[in-house]
Amino acid sequence: MTNTHHEPLMRIVKRSESTFKHKVIIRLIAVLLALVIDAMFIYFVTGLNPFAVYTTMFQGTFSNPMRFSWAMRDLASLLLVGIALAPAFKMRFWNIGAEGQVLVGALATAAVMVYYGGKLPNALLYPTMLIAALAAGALWGFVPGVFKAKFGTNETLFTLMMNYVAIQLVACCVNIWRGQASGLGKLNMKSKAGWFPQVFGQRYNINLIVVVLLVVLMYCYLRYTKQGYEISVVGESENTARYAGINVGKVIIRTMILSGALCGLTGFLIVGGRDQTISTGTAGGNGFTAIIVAWLAKFNTFYMALISFLLIFLEKGAGEIASAYNLNDFASDIIAGIILFCILGSEFFINYKPIFRSSKQTSIGKEVA
Amino acid sequence: MEYAIELRHITKTFGSVVANHDVSLDVRKGEILSLLGENGSGKTTLMNMIAGIYYPDSGEIIVDGKLVEIRSPKDAYALGIGMVHQHFKLIDVFTAAENIALVLDKQEKYNLKDIKAKAQQICERYSFDIDLEQKVYEMSVSQKQTLEIIKMLYRGAQLLILDEPTAVLTPQETEKLFAVMRNMRADGKSIIIITHKLHEVLSISDRVAILRKGEYAGTIDTAAADEASLTELMVGKKVELNIEREAPVNPHLRLNVHNLTITNAEGIKVLDQVSFEAFSGEILGIAGISGNGQKELLEAIAGLQHPEKDSSIVYYPDDDRDSTAEQLIGKSPKNIRDMGIHLSFVPEDRLGMGLVGSMGMIDNMMLKTYSEGHSPLVDRKGPRYLAEEIKDELGVVTPSISTPVSRLSGGNVQKVLVGREIAAAPSVLMTAYAVRGLDINTSYTIYHLLNEQKKSGVAIIYVGEDLDVLIDLCDRILILCGGKCNGIVDARKTNKEEVGLLMTRLAGKQEGGVA
Amino acid sequence: MKKFIALVLAAMLCMLACSALAADLKVGVILVGDETEGYTLSHMNGVKEAAANLGIAENQIIWKYKTPEDQTCYDAALDCIGQGCNLIISNSYGHQTYMVLAAEEYPDVTFVSMTGDFAALTGLDNFKNAFTKVYEARYVSGVVAGMKVAELLASGELSPEKQPNSFDADGNVKIGYVGAFDYAEVVSGYTAFFLGIRSVVPNVVMEVNYTNSWFDIDKEAAAAEALIAKGCVIIGQHADSTGAPAATQKLQDAGTLCYCVGYNIDMIPTAPTAALTSPTNVWSVFYTQLMNAMINGEEIAADWAEGFATDAVKLTDLNTAICAAGTVEKVEEVIAGIKDGSVKVFDASSFTVGGQTLSSSEVDMTIMDWATMTVAYEGQKYEAIVDGAFAESDFRSAPYFALRIDGITEIK
Repeated sequence: MTNTHHEPLMRIVKRSESTFKHKVIIRLIAVLLALVIDAMFIYFVTGLNPFAVYTTMFQGTFSNPMRFSWAMRDLASLLLVGIALAPAFKMRFWNIGAEGQVLVGALATAAVMVYYGGKLPNALLYPTMLIAALAAGALWGFVPGVFKAKFGTNETLFTLMMNYVAIQLVACCVNIWRGQASGLGKLNMKSKAGWFPQVFGQRYNINLIVVVLLVVLMYCYLRYTKQGYEISVVGESENTARYAGINVGKVIIRTMILSGALCGLTGFLIVGGRDQTISTGTAGGNGFTAIIVAWLAKFNTFYMALISFLLIFLEKGAGEIASAYNLNDFASDIIAGIILFCILGSEFFINYKPIFRSSKQTSIGKEVA
Repeated sequence: MEYAIELRHITKTFGSVVANHDVSLDVRKGEILSLLGENGSGKTTLMNMIAGIYYPDSGEIIVDGKLVEIRSPKDAYALGIGMVHQHFKLIDVFTAAENIALVLDKQEKYNLKDIKAKAQQICERYSFDIDLEQKVYEMSVSQKQTLEIIKMLYRGAQLLILDEPTAVLTPQETEKLFAVMRNMRADGKSIIIITHKLHEVLSISDRVAILRKGEYAGTIDTAAADEASLTELMVGKKVELNIEREAPVNPHLRLNVHNLTITNAEGIKVLDQVSFEAFSGEILGIAGISGNGQKELLEAIAGLQHPEKDSSIVYYPDDDRDSTAEQLIGKSPKNIRDMGIHLSFVPEDRLGMGLVGSMGMIDNMMLKTYSEGHSPLVDRKGPRYLAEEIKDELGVVTPSISTPVSRLSGGNVQKVLVGREIAAAPSVLMTAYAVRGLDINTSYTIYHLLNEQKKSGVAIIYVGEDLDVLIDLCDRILILCGGKCNGIVDARKTNKEEVGLLMTRLAGKQEGGVA
Repeated sequence: MKKFIALVLAAMLCMLACSALAADLKVGVILVGDETEGYTLSHMNGVKEAAANLGIAENQIIWKYKTPEDQTCYDAALDCIGQGCNLIISNSYGHQTYMVLAAEEYPDVTFVSMTGDFAALTGLDNFKNAFTKVYEARYVSGVVAGMKVAELLASGELSPEKQPNSFDADGNVKIGYVGAFDYAEVVSGYTAFFLGIRSVVPNVVMEVNYTNSWFDIDKEAAAAEALIAKGCVIIGQHADSTGAPAATQKLQDAGTLCYCVGYNIDMIPTAPTAALTSPTNVWSVFYTQLMNAMINGEEIAADWAEGFATDAVKLTDLNTAICAAGTVEKVEEVIAGIKDGSVKVFDASSFTVGGQTLSSSEVDMTIMDWATMTVAYEGQKYEAIVDGAFAESDFRSAPYFALRIDGITEIK
């Protein structure tokens, strides 16, 4: 059988090394492509003017200082969890339990506010809230850590299950605390005991300050400290770690205590600085979204900040589109999702390049498979 | 002359690395062709292009006189090309027959009975020895390899590619494999075999094709070749094949291993009452078929195993036998290090144990020393200096000392690992398969480094697989078989036959023949 | 009647609508759900109708859908303000604690927390609560149900011989009620419903089954089925789904004698031969008053609560095919009575608590912080029995009738 001789239309080749400029260009192309696809979706499916929709999307975060400030506040919550997860995931410990660790931290904070608010002076109340939150989060990290280290249990299932325990605990406490009211509302509404003081006009600005500090601290911890080095080695290979004389179990437990405690800290900041109350939705899914953040950034906290911002920007933008155009929020989520997809997809093209067959084709007999 | 396959001007690059450049070679029908080349000379890449795993950047492949496209392993199968990789592609929990069923064409009906009958025919035809009902996880390495070959033949392979098939086999298994290969050749099939072992090349193949640094260096008839001429073609220059060996200078007892017994997680005794002594300034070779306790022996000394009680490993820092002798059993690697004992260990699994693949040379340099000092921060100055030094002295080829070592070639990875272990100024140096997979040049670099250490009074324990090297390099050779010590021989007085016999003779039948 | 008022209002406000004031009004509406959910839909329709009445353009209203009862509500309020809103309305009780925070910060913006209960106690001029006197409509719907029971008894279709299960030991007819939560709002509502029935048929008892959810079709259906299984012939409801009417229809089709009274929306499409009617709110009445007051710069009450008097509540169309004869006339008569004050829903002589007729009942408007057991908002105490009746929704808009009267049992 005679056939046209041709090579595959496209093949994928690994790139040797991408330059910074190259990476930037690929990502820009990805964003442009996303905008084009989105424009078609917006125009043909929703019948709206794509440019107007994009403007609206942009306004979700940038239309006024207030919205930008809120975006930063939400970014702080997400990024904090991401930072907390970074050491655990760098150690290849699949901590799916951040949601629960944040919740117990928040619960401990709320409990201190409820039972000691007004009874302790603020100078003592805040440290008590903080310590309770850190301890609760650390405990939630310690338990799966110790089981993994001592008995080799599967940490993914373990941490996931711990989430449900935390959620039920919170639901139970909320039910007790709400008393005869239909909902819990803000804690210590009258006395505002345990509410963070306003810094630059907002209580949650403290969260922002903490997250900025933690971005730098966690970066240094992972990169420049001996413990950070141990985490990298354990994450790469437990055999290598044992060979190097690292006590693998100890590192696992220690790192999970740290990861859990930082999640607890997040819970403390959310309750004290952002919500001043608690519900089963306090962690708001950040415990899961943060996994994406941590992995995409390959545990570099500065990249994590960028990725968190992107996610928050898209979320706010989608919300604004839905509100402004009376769109079903599934439609606006599709618009945001396409952008996210293209940007994530571009990572592939940073590591690989497609080679298309050249146009010249020779006609030679070919054995057809 | 009829050719099974002809390659014309094949070029393949990976990023900036040229794996194959303008390679042209051909395989005749019914011949065994050895593909010879140093590590990183592009042998496997070239074969992968025939097997449909890679696609060449340029060049042509001609099968049975027709220009073909091989875009996937499926295309390769359809053209009668089958490749047995170094890492087997088998499903552990399936039986042999079920694994064979995996290669069925979409049109073929899944009927295990028919498959078994057909596979059985193949086995009989070429005298393969395999139980088709056996699960893969119960199989030895050799049986798995056999299964892979049967799989390819089942799929109708006319051209079989074997990538370093003998690396994992005992000499007896190798002979069996060669016998089967000759049967296949007699049946008109063509075989390409990749190997590093020159004597195997000479004994099995009809012709030898040689690659040098990704380029084709020529093909010669095996009948006209000898080890020296092949080596010259391969490395491009004359290499001294003799390994220097000097008598140990002022040896004294460094390690006394007594009654070392280790039971693994499955309750099997992987080491059974092994006793020996290692002396400073001496290379003690450990011979044995892979998986007979070598790994556990070295790991036990390094503090990575939990030996049974009554086991004893005593370390003597100097001539004084008693005063500062230290028991190593029950100590972790860190404990041993804290005691001031410098044990260096080049494990078999370089990237899975000795090094961290995702880290660069610098970070790998400090794997064992990072915790020194009281600062909570790591100090990368020393490691950076050491990395530079090792890179220069051992000629490690790497874009930078920060490049993840997993991106380096096998030989360079080994240089980094051996370099680090030697730089630790050890009093005991243990190496497991230090030259496995390395080309001749790099191998000799390693031998040379070991001899240097020997001269400076280090007690070296060398676990090797190449008997020629063991006999030429070591002072004494301990032979392990089934976890037992089958004897310790003087390397200067022994020969391959004696060692080979000790390696394969069951320890139970051996009546205390310890030298 | 309602149409007439709307027309009058529309005519009156036509001129005002053209004025600059109407154009200045910008309304932010914070909703706990969206148009797929009956409760929120009725609020949306109310706002839209009010806006249409007053000539307020669509772009003068900003909608915030699916706003949870947390910080998001506060953000939504501020976001609306950022977009120029000077009136913010939220439609769920739980929004209240977040609305008050925004109200404190923005004294120039008016905040209305629908169904809320502490606006008046905060001392903020710009923070309001509003609720309808929907218990009035529940009472009338009880009358409709009572007429049906009376008819069944009179025709002998319902008798101790035929349905022994439907009568208790004392010969009282069993009524069932599917409630969401045990809050005063629900207690007030089912008591009114029960008293409505009892105003027609004196010997009835009622069981209340709680679902602990405002909207759960399955739970509400299960609760209704359980009540009917116990013999209840009428199922009332204070929960937002169609679960209970659907279950009643299903069991009626299977041969059980049972009818139901819905809530919020017309249940006849759901239960064509079981649903008698539904009490419902007419939110547009309040929203029209509210926006009109805003436009004219008038004050509105911190606690707005109106009922039949201004048509802020009503019954959906009576299912005349199954309602007892004379129901239409009776309903008109009762409504007129409520309007002129001759019919009092919580007439103290019509019920007993613990066997005693109440001559006095103290209600405390204080809002507690139950978590810390402290007072969140100090409220006054009132004597609730005024002129021989419990004065519901007079001291604040949100219901506070939480007495458990004889004849009703709650199952929790």
